[in-house]
Amino acid sequence: MIKFERFTLDNGLRVILHFDPSTPLVAVNTLYDVGARDEDPDHTGFAHLFEHLMFEGSKHIPDYDHELQLAGGENNAFTNNDITNYYLTLPAQNLETALWLESDRMMELAFSEEKLHIQKNIVTEEFRQTFLDQPYGDVMALLRSLVYQVHPYKWSTIGKDIQHISRVTLPQVKDFFYRFYRPNNAIVSIAGNIDMETTRKLVEKWFADIEPGESIVRNLPPEPAQNAKRELTVEKDVPFDEVYLAFHTGTRLDRSFYITDLITDILAGGRSSRMMENLVRKKKIFSEANAFISGSIDTGFLVLTGKIHKGNDVQDALEMLWEEINDLSNHLIDPYELQKVINKTETSNVFSQTGVLPKAMNLAYYELLGDANLINSQDQTYFTISQDDVLQTCKEIFKPSRTNILKYLSNH
Amino acid sequence: MHFKDRAIAPDVTIADHVGFLTKPVKKLLYDKIPVYFLKGGDREIVKIEVVFPFGSYHQKKPLQAFTAANMLKNGTINKSSSQINKAWDFMGSSLQVDAQKDLISVGFFCLAKYLPEAIDLLTEILTEPSFPEEELELFLRNRQQKFLIDLEKVSYVARSQFAGLLYGYDHPYGTFLKSENFEMIHRDDILDYYNRFIQADRCMMFVAGNFPDNTEELLENKMKPFSLHTSASANGIDIPVIQPIHGKHSISKSNASQSSVRIGKIAINRTHPDFHKLSLTNTLLGGYFGSRLMQNIRQNKGFTYGIHSGLVTLIHSSYFFITSQIGKQVVDQAIPEIYEELKKLRTQPVSEGEILMLKNYLAGNFLRMFDGPFAQIQRWKEIIMFDQKPSYYTDFLKTLKNIKSDDFREIAEKHLHEEQMTELVVG
Repeated sequence: MIKFERFTLDNGLRVILHFDPSTPLVAVNTLYDVGARDEDPDHTGFAHLFEHLMFEGSKHIPDYDHELQLAGGENNAFTNNDITNYYLTLPAQNLETALWLESDRMMELAFSEEKLHIQKNIVTEEFRQTFLDQPYGDVMALLRSLVYQVHPYKWSTIGKDIQHISRVTLPQVKDFFYRFYRPNNAIVSIAGNIDMETTRKLVEKWFADIEPGESIVRNLPPEPAQNAKRELTVEKDVPFDEVYLAFHTGTRLDRSFYITDLITDILAGGRSSRMMENLVRKKKIFSEANAFISGSIDTGFLVLTGKIHKGNDVQDALEMLWEEINDLSNHLIDPYELQKVINKTETSNVFSQTGVLPKAMNLAYYELLGDANLINSQDQTYFTISQDDVLQTCKEIFKPSRTNILKYLSNH
Repeated sequence: MHFKDRAIAPDVTIADHVGFLTKPVKKLLYDKIPVYFLKGGDREIVKIEVVFPFGSYHQKKPLQAFTAANMLKNGTINKSSSQINKAWDFMGSSLQVDAQKDLISVGFFCLAKYLPEAIDLLTEILTEPSFPEEELELFLRNRQQKFLIDLEKVSYVARSQFAGLLYGYDHPYGTFLKSENFEMIHRDDILDYYNRFIQADRCMMFVAGNFPDNTEELLENKMKPFSLHTSASANGIDIPVIQPIHGKHSISKSNASQSSVRIGKIAINRTHPDFHKLSLTNTLLGGYFGSRLMQNIRQNKGFTYGIHSGLVTLIHSSYFFITSQIGKQVVDQAIPEIYEELKKLRTQPVSEGEILMLKNYLAGNFLRMFDGPFAQIQRWKEIIMFDQKPSYYTDFLKTLKNIKSDDFREIAEKHLHEEQMTELVVG
């Protein structure tokens, strides 16, 4: 059981505090409710570029990293389609330094043309390193463009075209900041060896005087239900063929999220999973197989994929994936098998409650979803999932008319 | 408390005590196997790891150690690979196998309630592996495919080839894999390695986490069959001398948009009196975000997404390296900057401000390195593996506290001279 306190400042900033005496450290996680889904279709990759700019100096502090390192701290950040998340750890007695740093860059950034220019170059190199020069590096981008026709999930966080990044201007950066990087659009969670009362006062001291922004009403076009199969075939400079099958799922807040999570574990979570046992070990069609959910807040998707051994046909591979899907959609799974994947989830939930950084990150994210206490209650939701839940959800999701097929072929 | 001036940083204190260092308790299992227990954490998670201080360094042919270690889980006399996999998964756990140059490790994390069953299964896997032919073939075929994909990455090629340049391609630290190696490993090779090295008299164990009080007893009761296994003679390994291939090298990969750059040299070992100082000099140069390489090549010039330097410490040797993936259009500008940073290190003093930042960052980082029982046991494992004194970490903190500007120059002159570097560019 993770105990925590939460409160909201007058400017709308949501704050969560968790005391953990087992460590000399404290973790501070600052989540901004803005991601790639909030970008203009002609300026994709913006939220992620902006994440980089958050480290390039704020009104009173020219070098964020310098000050944090002086306090013994270390930090990082990530952007995904839903959120932008900044996190750090430092010795607990230096907590105030972290609050000073985070509040100053929430208040006002020190925008400069030169820093924008350098960060555009760094992001371009990041794009090359993680996307262009990685074998299969563009798979997720291709899948998104297939699965989503309307919703902004159709582009990746890095952006659909690196040219979008090079076109970004300073006024656009400022506008983005004052729209999204306001206290009423953020959640700060602090976990570690802290005194709760002192910490609450410190948070008020540094964050209370930040002006709120206009409240943001997100009005994204919902992804319409798919009614016909979609297929995309690409040929690339990779050594082996891969095949992907993707299906729409519900949203993060639906109960079906947890069921689809278990379905991917039944399919590919662990060495005894169905795809590993049947397709990798017995039929030997794939060298590696996987199944996962996108885990996004709005309508998500579920993917089955495998790397095909040379000499096998991609069509056969697809049929074998469909055999697994049909089996799950037509037969109740064994109670033992269901218990197995629930046990796996139980272990990973316990792990996510270990260490101050994962705790701080999860508390902030769950609060964004509606309730930080999901960190404690999620386990129970998994325990209630029945064999029939799995069967019904499979029947709903896995429809041939709602299939997205990506054939990623080798040109070797 | 309510006074604030945003232009003034809050006070910072850096603790230099090491009171948080919990030492593991050592016990001997069956008067034979050293077991280190480190209790901590508030959740009921346990980690058990059996470590054999042998690895690819001790193999007769490529992939022998790696395959022997990984095949342990793929079948025992009484259980098929599928049955073993299912048993681990049901416990919400999995067997983790790591095979490196000097080390093979076999272990698991699990919830404490599954500990007795997990120990049983671990014992069976270590004691009665059957290495089925069909499983071996499947394993090698899948790994070969993974390897062929890795070969497409400039970073993988640079990393593996660079070790070859430093040690020579015939040295066990310098060999790199070829696709045909996956077709030349047979069951006899696996048995040979298992019999010689993966045996009770050659291992040590580490138990960490919030384990039940009867854990020692559990191990004592359950691991007996394993303890009876002893190793065959380990003679017959000829270790060739290090034959570095100095100079500047490049491998072209026309479809890459970036080049993977590696610059480095063989360095002193962890036991050398200069080692802590070298480690600090490395951090200053490229070991954290505030380092000189990161600031110059990434933050000021925008040539790369990241650049790092590091020390790889192996039992019989160590090496220093700088690594980065750099856009092809700027790589010719970036490389001279890297050498310039190395030269500056040995010719110019380090400012007090930079030393302070390094010290404070590392003092904080030290807390992160020891945060929680699993991080702590990892640190002690390193000490024990390298046969070093328990004072290793307190010595490090002393060195950190006392290091001066001249020390960096002296160390760089002795150990990191830019003219002694080997260079490899892939891309």
